[in-house]
Amino acid sequence: MSVFSAVKQNPRVRSFLLFLAILGPGIITGSVDNDAGGITTYSVAGAVYGNKLLWTLIPSFLLLVVVQEMNARMGIVTGKGLADLIRESFGVKVTLFIFIGLVAANIGNTATEFAGVAGSLMIFGVSKYISVPLVAVAVWLLVTKRDYKTTERIFLFFSFCLLSYIISAALAKPDWREIGRAIIRPEMHFDTGYLSMVLGIVGTTVAPWMQFYMQSAVIEKRIKIQDYKFALWDVIIGCTATVVVAFFIMVACAATLNKNGLVINEAKDAALALKPFAGAFAAQLFAFGLFIASVFSATILPLATAFFVCEAFGFEAGINKKIQEAPQFYALFAFIMTVSVLIILAPGAPLIAITIWTQVLNAMLLPVVLTSMIRMVNNRKIMGERVNNKFQNAVGWTGTIVLVGLTAMLLLNQLLSALKR
Amino acid sequence: MAKNKPEKVLDEPGLKMFVYLSRILDRAVTNAAGRSVGKLTDLKVRMGELFPKMSSVVVKPRRKKKPLELDWAQVDSVTGSRIVLRPGAEEHFHALQVGSDELLLREELLDKQVVDTFGAKIERVNDIHLLVVNQDLHIVHVDFGLRGLIRRLGWLKAVDAFTGFFFSFRIKEKLISWKHIQPLVSDLRNQDLKLNVAGSNIRDLHPSELADILEDLDRGNRDRLFKSLDVETAAETLEEVDPRLQVRLLEAAPAESASDILEEMAPDEATDLLFDLPEEQKQNLIRTMEKPSRDALVELLRHKEGTAGSLMTKDYISLDSEQTIGQAVEEFRKTTYPLDSVAYIYVTDKERRLLGVSTLRHLIICDKSTPVAEFMNPRLITVEPDQDIEDVVKLFKKYKFMALPVVDRDDRLQGIITLKDIIQETLED
Repeated sequence: MSVFSAVKQNPRVRSFLLFLAILGPGIITGSVDNDAGGITTYSVAGAVYGNKLLWTLIPSFLLLVVVQEMNARMGIVTGKGLADLIRESFGVKVTLFIFIGLVAANIGNTATEFAGVAGSLMIFGVSKYISVPLVAVAVWLLVTKRDYKTTERIFLFFSFCLLSYIISAALAKPDWREIGRAIIRPEMHFDTGYLSMVLGIVGTTVAPWMQFYMQSAVIEKRIKIQDYKFALWDVIIGCTATVVVAFFIMVACAATLNKNGLVINEAKDAALALKPFAGAFAAQLFAFGLFIASVFSATILPLATAFFVCEAFGFEAGINKKIQEAPQFYALFAFIMTVSVLIILAPGAPLIAITIWTQVLNAMLLPVVLTSMIRMVNNRKIMGERVNNKFQNAVGWTGTIVLVGLTAMLLLNQLLSALKR
Repeated sequence: MAKNKPEKVLDEPGLKMFVYLSRILDRAVTNAAGRSVGKLTDLKVRMGELFPKMSSVVVKPRRKKKPLELDWAQVDSVTGSRIVLRPGAEEHFHALQVGSDELLLREELLDKQVVDTFGAKIERVNDIHLLVVNQDLHIVHVDFGLRGLIRRLGWLKAVDAFTGFFFSFRIKEKLISWKHIQPLVSDLRNQDLKLNVAGSNIRDLHPSELADILEDLDRGNRDRLFKSLDVETAAETLEEVDPRLQVRLLEAAPAESASDILEEMAPDEATDLLFDLPEEQKQNLIRTMEKPSRDALVELLRHKEGTAGSLMTKDYISLDSEQTIGQAVEEFRKTTYPLDSVAYIYVTDKERRLLGVSTLRHLIICDKSTPVAEFMNPRLITVEPDQDIEDVVKLFKKYKFMALPVVDRDDRLQGIITLKDIIQETLED
């Protein structure tokens, strides 16, 4: 036996190597979570409300971990994608309902990514009418011509840029005692602005489309039931990374923008949050990070959406297929991209507002997807013995009910203010 | 059902004797007096015939949670809007049980994936097409098409009107006959696939098609489908499957079959597969194999990967120089396994040293008593077991043979490398 294989036989090393091999779905999904929508939402939250919304990250984290764990478990036990499971368990009508919602939300999400592209390149003085179409074409080419896996890895590497928020937040010397107090004793309001912000934060942290994506990633890794423990750690690490970055984005913006009474109207305003760390280069650093995150997600989102819809309805799908072989897939992909681009290119389109409201839309769709997931994951015929325990069900149902409640309150507020006029 | 009159069913004009499952599911079930006793939630069929008929209805009584089963004999008629039972049928409700040869249409077939052995792919069932014959309801087709999806949504009339008016076009059905369908559902007890035995079998698919299907399936269905294959088909299919999947499939196969499958595989393919297995499993499998195959494999395993020796196979026909054409024909008759290179007959001396090669053409046109050595070609291109595969590929490119013999330093024939193996080797991405 060579030295190499001797080392591999060592049980602890083997565990670690196995962990590295399985690592992926949770971490990748965690990084993708901090896309243009995420960065913008967390920045606006910090700028407008200071530290007052930090507490929302705790229930968001809890919900995120529980939901992602359910997806990972479903993927490992059944080996089937979320779209497949929904179709098999609930039939055509429910599947159509969910997917219309998903496509609408994802057109919004894709538009948000392009808003990020436009915003970040505007910092360099490039007009959105040039940057957005160019990037859209680049994304189409990237997807249809090149190897997707290497692209994924390149972008993952650059997502380390987000760590600059952590340094910035520390350097801005926020009042940590005040932060602690704001988390432990949250002040809650029920006006439209506050509610939509809370929903936005939840919606961007626990975005429905990512549940589908995560389960697919788990299946592709062909993780076995025996290795479930590693997948669980992968999920926890990924979720923690997401929420930690979110936390520091909010703190950094609170300490720089909110403290000085600055608002965010465009991306370059948000860049000021990085000033303590990057000084004069804050804008460029921010633009770079935002651009990478946006392009990455702009590639994944329409692709994943088209793929899952086709999966659910039995159409051929996949970038390894030619256009003639999978017409519905490519048509859907092109449709989502086109509508998103058009939304952003509309003259005077309020990029920040579009971003926030898209995340709210995510939060509204989430209870629907969550309900179907909870029902499936409690079904012994599907999951065998690996059904939810009481805690998971409690978190899941509570999250669903609270989200529906908040949505109802928000819509009520909107209705009332519309009637007043 | 009213005497011998074919039961009037549907919405579809002109197809009065057919009914789609989606049209009758969830309809009210009434007793002979006309009172509703519940709604139809499912139909059970017993597999075995070419187009099996419904054996029971599954009804969910009002205000009860669990559905109950009722034998088909208790059904009086099925129409587009309700199902009418015979008098006294209500006494015969019993708990639902599904045997290993029985299939529930909604629970186990509708919206699930199945193997279409006609198109050689996996499809998702959008609807099920049933035929009314005398008193019975038979399953005849499965609906995979867009039309089926639209029908499930209840929008068929509207969409037909729309496409007809604007485009003079009617979306076509995509119905595949039940005899080509293999459901991917397993018996809860023994986890075996419920086979559609009367239908055209999975076995009719080409191994490469089966390999594609296995690669597309989720783990559970994939392992079950592989388990349902007979040893010969399993071996042929395993040869075509992606190497990573090969290992997993073999691990999923029951222990007794695993070594049988390996024996059935072409030796060079089996060696490739064994290379990738964990040491313990490899030893176990080799141990449980039968002696002749085991010896062949162990011998092949000795050669390093990337050399000619690892690619060669011992499946060839060779005779010594004194034997005749007639005896060569006999050899051919005796080989029952598929020979990859039927083109060549190798001629050796008594010590197995390669002397020349004869072709199939000689077998056909020469007289039976002719010695094989008479028309053989003594000018041979050969390779040694240690030679690099790259060299072998170059030789194939240059001479365009169907197969190349592999000889040791003393010219003794060790095996042959076939064109098929070279194609697999060079086209592997």
